[in-house]
Amino acid sequence: MKNNLSGWKNVYSFTLNQVLKGKAYRISFFIMALLFLASLPVASMLLFNNTGNGDDTSPIKKVYVNNMTSLEISFEDVKSMSPFKHIMFETVKGDYNFLVNHVSEKERTSVILDISEENGAYILHLSMAKDGPVKDIHIQSLGDALSKSFTNRRMASLGIGSEQLSMIQTPVEYKTTMTDNAGAEVIEESTAISFSEYWFAYGVLFFVMMGTVLTGSQVATSIVTEKSNRVVEYLLTSVKPLALMLGKVLAMMTSTLIQMLSLVAALFASNMISSLYTADGGTLLSQLLPDDMFANINIINFIICVILVFMGLLFYAVLAAVAGATVSKLEELNEGLTLFTLSTLVGAYVGIGAIRTLMGSGMNAYVIFSLLFPLSSPFILPGAIQVGRASPLIICIAVVLLAAFIVLLFRFAARIYEVLFLHTGNTIKLKQLFKISKDSV
Amino acid sequence: MSLIVKNISKKYGDKLVVDNLSFEMDGPGVYALLGTNGAGKTTSLRIILGMLAKNSGEVLWNGKPLDAVNVNVGYLAEERGLYPKYSLLDQLMYFARLKRVDKQTAMDRIKYWADRLDVNEYVFPSKGKGRKSPKSNKADQLSKGNQQKIQLMSALLSDPELLIIDEPFSGLDPLNTDLFKSIIREEINKEKYIIMSSHQMPTIEEFCSDITILDRGKVKIQGNLAEIKKSYGRVNLLVKCEQDIDSYISELDLQVLNKTPSEYYLRVRGEDQAMTFLTRLINDRITVIKFELREPSLHEIFVEKVGADHNEK
Repeated sequence: MKNNLSGWKNVYSFTLNQVLKGKAYRISFFIMALLFLASLPVASMLLFNNTGNGDDTSPIKKVYVNNMTSLEISFEDVKSMSPFKHIMFETVKGDYNFLVNHVSEKERTSVILDISEENGAYILHLSMAKDGPVKDIHIQSLGDALSKSFTNRRMASLGIGSEQLSMIQTPVEYKTTMTDNAGAEVIEESTAISFSEYWFAYGVLFFVMMGTVLTGSQVATSIVTEKSNRVVEYLLTSVKPLALMLGKVLAMMTSTLIQMLSLVAALFASNMISSLYTADGGTLLSQLLPDDMFANINIINFIICVILVFMGLLFYAVLAAVAGATVSKLEELNEGLTLFTLSTLVGAYVGIGAIRTLMGSGMNAYVIFSLLFPLSSPFILPGAIQVGRASPLIICIAVVLLAAFIVLLFRFAARIYEVLFLHTGNTIKLKQLFKISKDSV
Repeated sequence: MSLIVKNISKKYGDKLVVDNLSFEMDGPGVYALLGTNGAGKTTSLRIILGMLAKNSGEVLWNGKPLDAVNVNVGYLAEERGLYPKYSLLDQLMYFARLKRVDKQTAMDRIKYWADRLDVNEYVFPSKGKGRKSPKSNKADQLSKGNQQKIQLMSALLSDPELLIIDEPFSGLDPLNTDLFKSIIREEINKEKYIIMSSHQMPTIEEFCSDITILDRGKVKIQGNLAEIKKSYGRVNLLVKCEQDIDSYISELDLQVLNKTPSEYYLRVRGEDQAMTFLTRLINDRITVIKFELREPSLHEIFVEKVGADHNEK
């Protein structure tokens, strides 16, 4: 075995060096890092600057009020808000259609407010000139203020104060308590994840899948290229096929891991920078996501996740290496990668299904299966660990299973690789692979 | 040191591509593997290199199974193999490092061979006017002949004990062919073991003492080239005369292999028949310009042995 792997370090360092020196790698890495770095500050700017924080003056100068209800309405409390204090409210008199045309064509900084009553509900309808200086966001801001004012006025007319209103609006919660035979309370915690946690786990899955596909395609392309330009014949006089595969797989994985970790670091930095543009100086993610969202993110969990991602990349990269060796021309690579693509898709979809199940009904047999299944565990387990839905036992079993699958795949690859590496001609099918493996035992 | 190839066979499915090939090299020199296209030469070389699994037989180097990873072997394949987009220096260094040559020695040898093969300008381009030091060229920027030189460099960088060269002169111009030949001669003088496969029979005759001719995986002829030729005897006769000699040829029932306007290329039954023919010509005062009796060339032996079978089939 030692002899079979002798020389892999040279293959590793040369391959990694050439990948890192490659223009395509550098350019794509730079663009991705830039996008990750800029994403959250830009999102912060868009979210917090455009909605306004109370100091921006609305471009609306006049509101024509068409009150079709019997209510007596005053807009004093709206005018007391700083963005709207300059607005003039004028009750509509005369021809309504003329007014609509007038606002559309001449008085484009004005809007029309129709107040109607339907089935006991009051409807506020705001109209503005198309393509004028007044935008949707300004209408929404004014609408929110009017709605709030309208509600306050209605509550006041009914004699309900703000404290009473708050009490009315507090949701009613119910709790089911189970007891055992001895009458003691059985506490069953919900294992369902929140909507935010769902998106977080989904993002992690997608990120890992991207890395897997990137590594797999790089490994397969590199192997087919060496076969098609005949370099492999020279390499095989110095190293065994298994050492060649190992060196290549590890080099491509390293390049992908460098990219992935750098992008995580860029996202972290991006989140920090985003605090410059938020209203209260907090980071964007801390504003958008629940406080307890990152409670499970610590250095140990992060290291476990990196190990899992590494194992996942290794598993899929070896699969891609075998797939790459089954073809001898670059144009046949897609056909050769069918098994790799299918496996990745199965793993990813099982993972996505499990994340949805986790959000809907919490941990169940299917979720546990997907956390342990070697095709899906590299995708779902890192996210599940970070949202606190993977117990140490599940992590241990998943790691052992994944390691066993990697060893089995490596042994299979070792048996067929020698034949595959010098194979030229049609793509070798799965059935033939098993035959080659059987023959070489 | 010795190389023993013993009863190696290789099957692809039901097709036997190498059938029980055996030969030995018990001293330095050049051993030739000859054959038509698809005769099994490259497959045999790959088996010897340990690159390809064999169905039976063994390859021994100094009495132990030859493992190219552990024995210092240099290989020049028939089909050239270089990374088209990587720098020449990087890949030469990589090939040397894979052969466990330390960095400094590898660099010294790259410089030596780049100079010897006249590819310095591609491997170590000289500095231009710009500030940046120039990068080594990429393989796809080289001509086919220069790529072949780089390939030969990579085979020689480890100063191999055993050198396997498959069609070393294909695609080379006469000047570079001579350059390659001189390098092979140097390697022979350094007492290297060389296995060469080629279609160019004069080249084989120039370098090789022992040969094996393969046809469809089977050995057709094997042994010392001089002895093989000797076994045929001096039966090839080249004659050039001023007068017409057709009547003498018919009279003595000589086989005409080829006839040009000025020369006859004949097959005689032996030296006695040739002497009789010459005596007749002299007695009849025929002006003989050339009368050359010699052993058949390797080309003729090859064509006779392999060609006859092909014609029959």
